[in-house]
Amino acid sequence: MNAVVLPVVVPLAAAILLLFVRHASVRWWLSLGASLLTLAVSALLLPATLRGEVLVSALGDWPAPWGIQIVADALSAVTLTASAITAVLAVTLSRPTVDSRRERFGHHALLQFLFTGVNLSFLTGDLFNLFVAFEVTLVASYALVTLGGAVGQLREGFRYVVFNLLVSALFVVGAGLSYGLLGTLNFAHLAERVAALGPTPAVTALALLLMTVFATKTALFPLAFWLPGSYPEPPPATGAFFAAVLTKVGAYALIRVFSTVFTSEPDVTGPALMALGGLTVLVGALGALSQRTWRAILSFTVVGSVGFLAFGLGLGSEAGLAATVFYLLSSVVVTFTLFAVAAWAERASLQEETRVGGALEVAPWLAGGFMAGLLGMVGLPPTSGFVGKFGLVLAGAREGGWLAWLGVAAMLVSSLVTLVALVTVWRRFFWGEVCLPRRPGVPPSLTVTVAAAVALTVLLAAFSGPVYRAASVTAAQLATPDVYVRGVLRGGETP
Amino acid sequence: MTVLYGVITGVLAATGVYLLLSRTILRVVLGLAFVSYAANLAILGAGGLTLNAPPLLSLRGPHVDPLPQALILTAIVIGFGTTALLLTLAVRTYQATGRDDVARFDDELNELGGDLDDPAADPEHPTNPEEFHPEDYADGPVIAAETALTPEAEKEKS
Repeated sequence: MNAVVLPVVVPLAAAILLLFVRHASVRWWLSLGASLLTLAVSALLLPATLRGEVLVSALGDWPAPWGIQIVADALSAVTLTASAITAVLAVTLSRPTVDSRRERFGHHALLQFLFTGVNLSFLTGDLFNLFVAFEVTLVASYALVTLGGAVGQLREGFRYVVFNLLVSALFVVGAGLSYGLLGTLNFAHLAERVAALGPTPAVTALALLLMTVFATKTALFPLAFWLPGSYPEPPPATGAFFAAVLTKVGAYALIRVFSTVFTSEPDVTGPALMALGGLTVLVGALGALSQRTWRAILSFTVVGSVGFLAFGLGLGSEAGLAATVFYLLSSVVVTFTLFAVAAWAERASLQEETRVGGALEVAPWLAGGFMAGLLGMVGLPPTSGFVGKFGLVLAGAREGGWLAWLGVAAMLVSSLVTLVALVTVWRRFFWGEVCLPRRPGVPPSLTVTVAAAVALTVLLAAFSGPVYRAASVTAAQLATPDVYVRGVLRGGETP
Repeated sequence: MTVLYGVITGVLAATGVYLLLSRTILRVVLGLAFVSYAANLAILGAGGLTLNAPPLLSLRGPHVDPLPQALILTAIVIGFGTTALLLTLAVRTYQATGRDDVARFDDELNELGGDLDDPAADPEHPTNPEEFHPEDYADGPVIAAETALTPEAEKEKS
């Protein structure tokens, strides 16, 4: 089943091709075409994986524990599709918001390299290739964060790069130690050996080391300080994709490692994740309240939303996992929509601060779009955010225990605080006297992209049912790691 | 031997972390290099240390497991690339802020009375807006962020 490799190969080929194309418009069309193709080949993986199959491609035909496996199960396929949709929107958003110099110095090629890394992270079947995929993603993101060389970009970019490199070194050590301890790097093989070994202090320590690494990439609370500074600095298209997808790559790695591989001591890893998640949602919401510019506020809400994912994963129940997967998909779409709305607002008002006033009269449709994103981010009905958060609260309440209840309380409080923060934006930007020009100088392509993102948010809310069913199937598959292990090690013989 | 090896790795990591915590850009870069060397040695140690055992089948055994060495090779290549990138970034940051002090990026910009996102805070830097001619940089590296201002939008705003 070699189609599994395509979501990695298509953007990689496009990235290399883009380096040689000389015309800006050709570059844009090529980049858009490649993203659409990636979306198509990613979506192709959905039907089979949601039926419970595990699609495996062994590179060079080397058999399972020895060779390198590209594996697609339901979790890979759904996250891959969500990120591919966002990628298409990010490319379209690049056209109006990325200036011609950044474009000329390889913006689109870097974006495609970024997609390659992200997709490889979702599809790889072993720990060391996960490291490599993270590095591909990060190197592309380092370049994208600093491309343009504005002082703010360099200042925040330097911190972003240094911190992420340090954590990458920890990741390599983690991979080396897991090879030393367990003699393998393949997820399925690791899972088998960890299960056979039972609860062992050394393995638990290794799991916690990897949790630290992924928590940093996901931006969980004590390790999240690099995110709110660096994401608002690059152009909106880059920042929006980073905010929507990059933190979720870390979240995917957490879900993969703690639901498939290191399952032997949930009493340690579960509460740790729940505590980190609970603190993160509070810090994200309070941080959003403290900011005054569009993208700084939204970056903090991103931090808050990954806290929900960590909490849901920490619960360890199948219901918790289903809600986590659904909330992950919902938060990818909603975050991108809010960043796109912010790009429109910044362009129309020619400033980064939200205090402008009167946008409700100038662009009522934008107000509608922002409201859809706001409701989705806060988690009020009838949006997808509500469905995801409701699932998480329900799973937390069912789990019981003081930590779960504390987490539920933290989630509810933080949703309220996020509501206050975003309603403040609403009040400052949309209400009040009209200070915006009647016809703001916004290119139509930006308007179209924002409209598409808003439409996607509304569609996700409307089709929450089927998407939640897909998330439940994914969670059921994750709750029985046997399926994954058998699929990879024994050539896809599923029960 | 393993103990000595472990101590050396630890000293390397400690040196790296110490340098990372300093405020000079170059020390931070060197610190990261030390940390990544320590990480590579840690992988080799975790894979098991043996004397006189080549990782190549063409040589006479006993053989050592070649996988940790392959992992380290990959990590070194990636580390090489990222260090090069970081050095470039360090130079650009130094040029743009006129400072090699990480902690004073913000203070320095405030003292100059400039906006934090002003593309050139260093008055003597060639990208200083007063002498900035975009056509001079048509084929050079991307330096200043272009703002979204179009003439008619600016007129309408005022």
